[in-house]
Amino acid sequence: MSEDRISLAHGNGGRLMRQLIETHFFAAFDEPALAQGLDATPVPATGGNLMMTVDGFTVQPLEFPGGDLGTLAANGTINDLAVCGARPRWLTLSAILEEGLPVEQLARLVRSFAEAVRGSGATVLAGDTKVVPHGQGGGAYLTVTGLGETVRGGLSFAGIRPGDKVLVSGPVGDHGTAVMLAREDFDLRGDVRSDCASVLGLCEAAWALDGLRFLRDPTRGGLATVANEIAQATGQGIRLSEPCIPLHPATTSVCEMLGFDPYYLACEGRVVAVVGPEDAGPLLEAWRALPEGAQAAEIGQVAGDAPRVVLETEIGGERLLDELEDDPLPRIC
Amino acid sequence: MSAPPVPVDARRARRLSVGGRVQGVGFRPFVYRLARLVGVAGWVQNASGHVLIHVEGPQAALDDFAARLVPDAPPLARPEIVDCEDASPAGLTDFAIAASAADDAPCVSLPPDLFVCDDCLRELADPNARRYRYPFINCTQCGPRYTIITGLPYDRAATTMVGFPLCDDCRAAFEDPVDRRFHAQPLACPVCGPSLSYVEGETRIGATEAALAACVARLKAGGIVAVKGVGGYHLMCDAGNAEAVAALRARKNRPHKPLAVMFPMTGADGLDAVRAHLAPDATAATALCDPVRPIVLTLKRADAALAPGIAPGLDEIGAFLPYSPLHHLLLTDFGGPLVATSGNISGEPVITDAAEAEGRLGSVADAFLHHDRPIARPADDSVIRPIAGRARTIRPGRGLAPLEVELPMPLNAPVLATGGHMKATLALGWGNRAVLSPHIGDLDSPRALSVYEAVAADLPRLYGVRPEWIVCDAHPGYASRRWARETGLPVSEVFHHFAHASALAAERPDVRRWLVLAWDGVGYGADGTLWGGEALVGAPGGWRRAGSWRPFHPIGGDKAGREPWRSAAALCWAAGRAYPRDIEGIGLAEAAWRKGLNAPATSAVGRLFDAAACLALGRDVASFEGQGPMELEAAAAGEGPAVEVPLFRDGDGVLRLDWAPLLDLLLRNDLSVAEKAAGFHASVAKAAARQVRALAQEAEVQAVGLTGGVFQNRKLAEMLSARLAQAGFTVVIPARIPANDGGLAIGQLVEYAARQANEADDE
Ligand SMILES: [Fe+3]
Ligand SMILES: [Mg+2]
Ligand SMILES: [Zn+2]
Ligand SMILES: [Zn+2]
Repeated sequence: MSEDRISLAHGNGGRLMRQLIETHFFAAFDEPALAQGLDATPVPATGGNLMMTVDGFTVQPLEFPGGDLGTLAANGTINDLAVCGARPRWLTLSAILEEGLPVEQLARLVRSFAEAVRGSGATVLAGDTKVVPHGQGGGAYLTVTGLGETVRGGLSFAGIRPGDKVLVSGPVGDHGTAVMLAREDFDLRGDVRSDCASVLGLCEAAWALDGLRFLRDPTRGGLATVANEIAQATGQGIRLSEPCIPLHPATTSVCEMLGFDPYYLACEGRVVAVVGPEDAGPLLEAWRALPEGAQAAEIGQVAGDAPRVVLETEIGGERLLDELEDDPLPRIC
Repeated sequence: MSAPPVPVDARRARRLSVGGRVQGVGFRPFVYRLARLVGVAGWVQNASGHVLIHVEGPQAALDDFAARLVPDAPPLARPEIVDCEDASPAGLTDFAIAASAADDAPCVSLPPDLFVCDDCLRELADPNARRYRYPFINCTQCGPRYTIITGLPYDRAATTMVGFPLCDDCRAAFEDPVDRRFHAQPLACPVCGPSLSYVEGETRIGATEAALAACVARLKAGGIVAVKGVGGYHLMCDAGNAEAVAALRARKNRPHKPLAVMFPMTGADGLDAVRAHLAPDATAATALCDPVRPIVLTLKRADAALAPGIAPGLDEIGAFLPYSPLHHLLLTDFGGPLVATSGNISGEPVITDAAEAEGRLGSVADAFLHHDRPIARPADDSVIRPIAGRARTIRPGRGLAPLEVELPMPLNAPVLATGGHMKATLALGWGNRAVLSPHIGDLDSPRALSVYEAVAADLPRLYGVRPEWIVCDAHPGYASRRWARETGLPVSEVFHHFAHASALAAERPDVRRWLVLAWDGVGYGADGTLWGGEALVGAPGGWRRAGSWRPFHPIGGDKAGREPWRSAAALCWAAGRAYPRDIEGIGLAEAAWRKGLNAPATSAVGRLFDAAACLALGRDVASFEGQGPMELEAAAAGEGPAVEVPLFRDGDGVLRLDWAPLLDLLLRNDLSVAEKAAGFHASVAKAAARQVRALAQEAEVQAVGLTGGVFQNRKLAEMLSARLAQAGFTVVIPARIPANDGGLAIGQLVEYAARQANEADDE
């Protein structure tokens, strides 16, 4: 694959995307806050009281089991603020619509968006709509900017220590699997639903803990990518225990049949937390008390050796979970 | 006319520099004895790899000395006289062995680990000898090397024996130039050397004899014992005890993968016990008795009294003879064959450390037989398969590696080649020399990657060569390529099958125009698709893909390599047929296949063999790599109906074989499993021969090479090479360098060197 032109792999959350952003965006803007690689950034003029984030949403198809573009755009923005310790307050919405999109469908997407925003306590303060000719857009693209008030400061890679525990709030890989099945129009009766949801409640529960170090929602590239980001940013190893990682059986069986690794597939309503060992139990308890955290689990720990992600398998083996490559190709020779 | 008379005793002096394998093989003591024998004075010195010799004396004696230096050298030495020049006599009266000199331009040979020599074996069995039944007996002609060396030059202080100060008796032998233990670096005895200990639950036995006895008793009672050997731990159990074998399989979660069996060394040639169960041909017999002591894939006898679970579905057993004095004692005391499989988690390097063994093998082994000689780096057992009358390396390991290879053309700078992803090895090249590391394992596990990184650091350090370039495979997902890019050194990529072909070419540098069939599982090809059934024309540095197979699309990414049904189904669907076997949820896979989701195109013959194993034998899912093809080969009996496989030329001019008639053959209802399996092999061999004949008409070809993992299939390789030989072709199958991905690193070096040479020519 040529790396001289933008490929789909430049958007998959893996190595190519990281390199693209570092080389062409961070370098051009010269803003140290950006280079920290967090989901939202404190607004300097407010002394860090406000956090800012922006996200574009291009999911295909526009509607899928468990959600649609509207819920995804709202929750994706809310979640990016929440994992950075901020309560979402003000949003903007930019819609790029493709000629021919049924207005009825647009109305559904906007209703979903509005409902999710209301649920988070935020409001939409500005918007923009553009229409592009038929064939030049995938029905609708949404871009959302979010401003939130910082409630819990100090969440960053820097606080992560060897021995810290890694927790996830629920089963992984559902959104990626559901969207893939919906996109390819497979005749599957909605066994797998996207987990698309707000993680604000989960984050609020976590903010209360002194031992909380770091939160991130495992979207593109999934759990494995978040773990790799933590490993790379901290120089610490991450050890995950395969039997502890929650998975929906339906997602597992689809991934088995199609040869996908659910740890690399996106979630849109889960959060990964790194906490000091003393707060792992309390966080797990707090999460499990919430309906969206019923299947939360402690899945691993920060290991302190080489900055690699190691999956301990059921049968005592160990497997490296590498940073996502371009298009994963078979390697068994 | 009269010349002034030369006094017959006029002293002349000569300075020799000797390279090759001269370290750790008793070469200096030999030089000492030879010097005394022919009557010359002087000295011999180790100088980081070379041995420097100064001799002085009468001309005739000097000539005699030089003439016998190479041919009379000890059996394990491979001396090469690098330099020989006149020097001035220093008036020496005696011959001495001087202390080693460390210099900064070493040209060393890192010796491999070898089995007990006959002298030591005799002593091991001699109740009057000091080292009677001592499990760590060794001399300059035998014993551990690679796995204990921590630095070079090879001296005791630079081995893991540094923690065992010699007792007075041992020191005397070590310092006596005529003793066969003179400068035997791992020298040890019961007084000063390593000892055994046995651990079973809370029981701990620290005395060597008692530990050995407890181990033997546990094995006789059907137990599983983790035994520390030379390059790592083995898991051992009674090979005749079906329950013990079943327990080992269940606990190791290894349902089918064949288990190696170690046989006692009995009878005149040592092979009586082997022959009681197996039928080694001459090639296998020779390989079994080699001091390398490899595992040799040997045909099973119909009446073999081994547990059926040792190699289910196969007609060969991986057999070997004891390879250390410890194993020799163990097998003699046990009195029968023992399963001896690598003590590791599947695909990982063998475990070398007692604590790690007890931790990670604790749920598998009932007990542990440890020893306290540390292992500096793991070395798995080497594996050999006799094919077409020669021993072929399947896995380079203990005893074989580091494998010295002469490059057909020199490198202009030191290069490290990072090999593949499965069966990973590394190779270091400088000048005309290359050394291939032992088999490390599959780079999916952190332990394999750690060992890989340690070996990558060790090879340059030990040989005193600092690589300036890295060569790696082009596959974007290989950990070895990622590692290469993280070194910060300039990186060149070599396509997988070009490396396979170039590794083969290194074994026959006289051949200039090749046609190489490089057949394997999948590898990243020059067009970004997955190759694996390629016919390459040319030579290292200039391979052209002239032929291939019709591509197909196994579904499920890497899962296709473990689940043969995925290849079989892809063939059926591509041929417009329904998939005949029952797989739950296959409808989803078929839908994904139609959309091209996670079903990349490949021309891999390895996957065709997978498909055949599935359709002929019902091998839907493999529990180890290559299971389907191995069972298919074992099932093939007799001739079988060979079908005609058509050739067609694709849009790029590549001459491709079409697998469609093979599918028809496999789906016939009127054939037995054996007939289908045999017919498949015969058809593929016939098809390949046909493709070779067609391509040889278009290009000048001096020899046809058969490489890639598929040609470790003996039936296919022998059938095809016979056909090609009959058609007048010279056929070359890899012998020293593995045909599988374990040989890629050497091929990468050869390919890189050839490209350099081509560029130099162009300028
Ligand atoms: Fe290969
Ligand atoms: Mg974002
Ligand atoms: Zn010996
Ligand atoms: Zn001693």
